[in-house]
Amino acid sequence: MALSFEPDPCAKCEELLQPYLDRDLSDAERVQAEKHLDDCSYCRKRYKFEVELRRFVRKAVVEEMPPDLKQKLAALRTPLL
Amino acid sequence: MGETTPEAEPRKLAEEARDRVRFEEEALDLADQVYRVARRLVSSREEAEDLMQETYARAFRAWRSYTPGTNLRAWLLRILTNLNIDRGRRQQRTPDLRPMEEGDYFLYNRLEEAGDSDEERVDERLSQDDAVGALSAVPHDFRDVLVLVDLGDFSYADAAQILDIPIGTVMSRLHRGRRILKHELAERAVGSEA
Repeated sequence: MALSFEPDPCAKCEELLQPYLDRDLSDAERVQAEKHLDDCSYCRKRYKFEVELRRFVRKAVVEEMPPDLKQKLAALRTPLL
Repeated sequence: MGETTPEAEPRKLAEEARDRVRFEEEALDLADQVYRVARRLVSSREEAEDLMQETYARAFRAWRSYTPGTNLRAWLLRILTNLNIDRGRRQQRTPDLRPMEEGDYFLYNRLEEAGDSDEERVDERLSQDDAVGALSAVPHDFRDVLVLVDLGDFSYADAAQILDIPIGTVMSRLHRGRRILKHELAERAVGSEA
């Protein structure tokens, strides 16, 4: 068992990175992640990359609804008596 | 006791009609947001449009089962994802067995190895088509969660409810789905063997 090993803070940071970006960490974990990001340029660079990647993918894959679809959906409403 | 007066019935009907109209208007106001998610759950625009129409037809019929004040967008997407699964999409399911040991920094590391020191400029290394192609290459089970959380902004708990799976499964699929997405993006960005 690896109980006696000092945990690798960068490995821990990577583990916390995705839930940190999802705002899904406990307060204690969030503080731990932020403290490490403040101190570690290796992780900070990767963190910035992840933020940028999410922003890029999110923007790139958006396709807006065709205008006529909304009319088709509205036509499915129950007619008023 | 004895509240059914001759005037009560028409009033009840009018109230119900008003509630239904309000529900339909709120659901239609959300259609743009629902479509953005729907579009990435299926492969073509035609499929997304069909799915939207089936979803709204069912929602308008079943409006009484929606609890006012709860998350209507999640309620609509639950109908939509169920319909999508009912279409037999799951028959195409293929397990993704690629090793993912390299972790969450896979794409970053590939770009760094490719010699670009300016890793933050993601949009210079990847095109919109790369992103769309990479996302559609993620197997359905993982993509559903990825789309709901990363595009739809749903919490893990909402995604679990929409897909009717445990929250732990949402988290593990999201984790793996993001790694698969990064492998797919790396293939497109630097022609990795990933």
